[in-house]
Amino acid sequence: MQSLTTPLLFIFALAVIGYFVAKSRALKVAGGDIRTLVSLPNQHALNTALATIIPPVAAVLLFALYGRLTDGGPNWFFTLVVIGLGVTGCALSLIGIKVESRARTYAERWILGLLIFASTIAIMTTVGIVFSMLFETFNFFGQYDWRDFFFSLSWSPNFRGNSDLGIIPLLWGTLYVSFIALVVAVPIGLFAAIYLSEYAGPRLRSVAKPAIEVLAGIPTIVYGLFALITVGPVLRDYFAEPMGFGQSASSVMTAGIVMGVMLIPFVSSLSDDIINAVPQAMRDGSLGLGATQSETIRQVVIPAALPGIVGAILLAASRAIGETMIVVLGAGAAARLSLNPFEAMTTVTVKIVSQLTGDTDFASPETLVAFALGLTLFVITLGLNVFALYIVRKYREQYE
Amino acid sequence: MEDMIHVDRAMSTNQDIKISAKGVQVYYADNHAIKDVDVEIDDKTVTAFIGPSGCGKSTFLRCLNRMNDTIDICRVEGDIRIDGEDIYDPKVDPVQLRAKVGMVFQKPNPFPKSIYDNVAYGPKIHGLARNKADLDEIVEKSLRKAALWNEAKDRLQAPGTGLSGGQQQRLCIARAIATAPEVLLMDEPCSALDPIATAQVEELIDELRQTFSVVIVTHSMQQAARVSQKTAFFHLGNLVEYDDTDKIFTNPHDPRTESYISGRIG
Amino acid sequence: MKTSLLAADARTKKRNAAEKRFRAYGLSAIIVAMSALLILLTSVLVNGLSSFQQTFITMDIELAEERVDKEGNRDPAEMAKTTTIGYNSILRDALIATIEGEGLTTDLSNRDIADMISKEASATVRDRVLANPDLVGQTVTFDVLASGRIDGYFKGDVTLESAALDSNTSPEALTLAQQLADAGVIETKFNWNFFIWPDASVQRPEAAGLGVAILGSLYMMIVVLVLALPIGVASSIYLEEFAPKNRITDIIEVNISNLAAVPSIVYGILGLAIFINFMEFNQSSPLVGGLVLTLMTLPTIIISTRAALKSVPPSIRDAALGVGASKMQSVFHHVLPLAAPGILTGTIIGLAQALGETAPLLLIGMVAFVREYPAAYTPEAGLFGEASTALPVQVFNWTQRSDPAFVERASGAIITLLVFLLIMNAVAIYLRRRFERRW
Repeated sequence: MQSLTTPLLFIFALAVIGYFVAKSRALKVAGGDIRTLVSLPNQHALNTALATIIPPVAAVLLFALYGRLTDGGPNWFFTLVVIGLGVTGCALSLIGIKVESRARTYAERWILGLLIFASTIAIMTTVGIVFSMLFETFNFFGQYDWRDFFFSLSWSPNFRGNSDLGIIPLLWGTLYVSFIALVVAVPIGLFAAIYLSEYAGPRLRSVAKPAIEVLAGIPTIVYGLFALITVGPVLRDYFAEPMGFGQSASSVMTAGIVMGVMLIPFVSSLSDDIINAVPQAMRDGSLGLGATQSETIRQVVIPAALPGIVGAILLAASRAIGETMIVVLGAGAAARLSLNPFEAMTTVTVKIVSQLTGDTDFASPETLVAFALGLTLFVITLGLNVFALYIVRKYREQYE
Repeated sequence: MEDMIHVDRAMSTNQDIKISAKGVQVYYADNHAIKDVDVEIDDKTVTAFIGPSGCGKSTFLRCLNRMNDTIDICRVEGDIRIDGEDIYDPKVDPVQLRAKVGMVFQKPNPFPKSIYDNVAYGPKIHGLARNKADLDEIVEKSLRKAALWNEAKDRLQAPGTGLSGGQQQRLCIARAIATAPEVLLMDEPCSALDPIATAQVEELIDELRQTFSVVIVTHSMQQAARVSQKTAFFHLGNLVEYDDTDKIFTNPHDPRTESYISGRIG
Repeated sequence: MKTSLLAADARTKKRNAAEKRFRAYGLSAIIVAMSALLILLTSVLVNGLSSFQQTFITMDIELAEERVDKEGNRDPAEMAKTTTIGYNSILRDALIATIEGEGLTTDLSNRDIADMISKEASATVRDRVLANPDLVGQTVTFDVLASGRIDGYFKGDVTLESAALDSNTSPEALTLAQQLADAGVIETKFNWNFFIWPDASVQRPEAAGLGVAILGSLYMMIVVLVLALPIGVASSIYLEEFAPKNRITDIIEVNISNLAAVPSIVYGILGLAIFINFMEFNQSSPLVGGLVLTLMTLPTIIISTRAALKSVPPSIRDAALGVGASKMQSVFHHVLPLAAPGILTGTIIGLAQALGETAPLLLIGMVAFVREYPAAYTPEAGLFGEASTALPVQVFNWTQRSDPAFVERASGAIITLLVFLLIMNAVAIYLRRRFERRW
């Protein structure tokens, strides 16, 4: 790609020159009176510049991809094609400048093309994610039996090979931490949302709502550090050790509680939207029958909002499962199948980080397993998201 | 207090006065929505509130069971008594009040529950049934009264939202009478219904008069003439005229009432 | 049975009690959430504020010619032969002289006295001398870094008891340090260098700074801004204004809302596989980091941009079309400028998110130990191609070091990060308030 820099610079220069040439040519064609032109000189100029730049840049991107796939470096052929495309585009559009030519339509077509290209990047990202992980996961299963990966109960990677790479202990840790996080976040988030939307006066709302939103804006590394230096030691010194549950500061409990705090704003803002979508007529109906506010909320509003709330909880669960920094700093690194929440356990995301930042050979199963873990994580969270978004969307439609 | 009730009773002719309101003012923030309204509503009678939209008839209706309490910016002044008891007394629990003064809303608003649970909701929260059999009986009685039993008896467990508009509104009426109220407030109960459903609900209202004092807000003068015995005409937050329905529609006292009846304002 | 409204019956009392309980649950949920925020911020502040302070020893250092410039030519190339080890002894002697000058006595060996000075100090002094050979032969007053333990003592992290168990310091050294502080030789003061110096090795936490990390984060934010904003706005315009309603655009929409919920670490795997392994961009470079964060931020920017475009009423579009503008002109001349404040706000919030993101950067190697300030452009490495680290990753890095003095540094880095985020969000809120338009 390095040697294509010069032709690209040439193309950009050509586009700038083309812009001004096109402008003056349009004026000349018009005989100095732009009112005779169907399209304005500026539009001719824009068309020429776009026609000069877009095809060669597209070609460069394609060549770069091709070069990577075939491992061939850039060569004179590429350079020639790139420059040729630019010159052709420039020349054709300049020749095309006539009184009646519709340069605006052409220029807008180029722009529309760019807009469409931009919106395909989201698709390409997904394709990139899936393929990059699928490819390396296949490599991994070529070296390691997939049955062992999915069903082995032990995780103990070994630098010299013969590692046990079973995902179950990691999934167990992931689900255990996520479960504790949800146990913390769902009641607090839900009750906070209910109180703020049904009871709180404007003054409390104007303080509490932004404060809870601030929790959502704090980067996860901050929560991780909080788990490491504050929550972990406190839990160890005041709960785990006196009660004889263990001496580890990193534990499922530490990570779970801190992650729960992180999820509170997530649950509360989603529930808030959903509770507000329940029509006021529903509340009036209940209040008009002489129900108290809490009876109305528990027996009418919550049941009506239930699908949406379930969707919100699933989204929160998906976020908990994919969370990395809190568990890296708070949960520990030992893969363990245990019920004791004060013991250090590890999760899928922790192992993705540790296997990919280690010094092992990239082609070894110990490294490649990270891609299989990543793909599993992606599939689980994607499933949860699609399902949750589907539920939430169905719920919204009900009240529209 | 005793004297006042006595005076009120003396003023009424042959019927008991259920609700008496004196000097009622309602403000929405700075907006003076109800201006000094005095009215006495008879028991076992259908009373209609009519008037152009925005005249305050719904607002006044919502004062009668303190539904306006749920709106933060709304302030009510004056004296409203039911059976001689001041309903805005601090000792009064609006929850108990609303069990006594039921309400049916403009748009049918069944809960997203089964037909049975919709009707059973009120009795359950107020503890009106000792057991399941009791509750079944209340539900059946209420549905029968609301003229919905025949249509609904085979699908009591079906969701209330699956009924037609007219059926939904009758379900809401059944839901309201299941708590055995003494007064039933209806806020334009037929405005979202087609003519056939409207006729059914009107017929129902006439029957309910046997048991309750019914207050109905309506924008339709024909409806007021059809269902009510007494009519109150509201205009710009004032109670302009209150009299027997026949009198209001045939020989109104106030020129504004006459203009409205004849369609010149509205 | 006639009941009075004025007396609540037993059942109503019970129900009202339940109502009160329910309210109390709600209120306590809010209190718990707000106190969690308070505890979190306090913990970070308490642990980290001291990292902005640093303990320095002020002493006169005699830069004798025979020790720093044996040839006497003042030629930096020759003078560079004197290594930091040579300067170590100069600093040690200077400190001993200072102690004696203050009339203090100590049982400490010369070696232990030398350990009171940071290992970084000799390099600092040496760099100063090499940059300015005229200093040779003079006695110059320097503020040199005290060692991490002495620094910790003045910040209350190291005590005489803990020093007794510590091989890196001793109670005697701390006592001497206290006497020197009383004499005004040792002073703890605000340390701008924390934001300027690069990372330092495990043995010298006192010299570790955020310079490289801040630079790296800045480069990445530039990449994200330059790529994510135009791409995000372009795709939002297409989806909101031009796209026909069909299966393909449906797929794109569902795809974008799902991308917004993909765990960030998955983007790290993508970056590793595509940008580093396949495209062979440089590992640890802000370019790769920026690309990964761009892909991660795109859904956020697209979602908020579309909301901003949606809030521009159709009447504006109709008005433009009505005077004969093309669809494209109506969008670029009228809709886009009106939506700009909303787009900008969304972009800043997206950038703030990207600034705090850690996990994907670990996978593309930004966790490496980098002491060289990365250049924005070099012919060999290309644009933003030099190895770097980033603010949140630096925090993670420091938490992994064994010396507890790094915990303070990590918390200090967090405070710095939070201040940047606070500024960005404040700007976003200001823009929203300033330009908010109600239709």
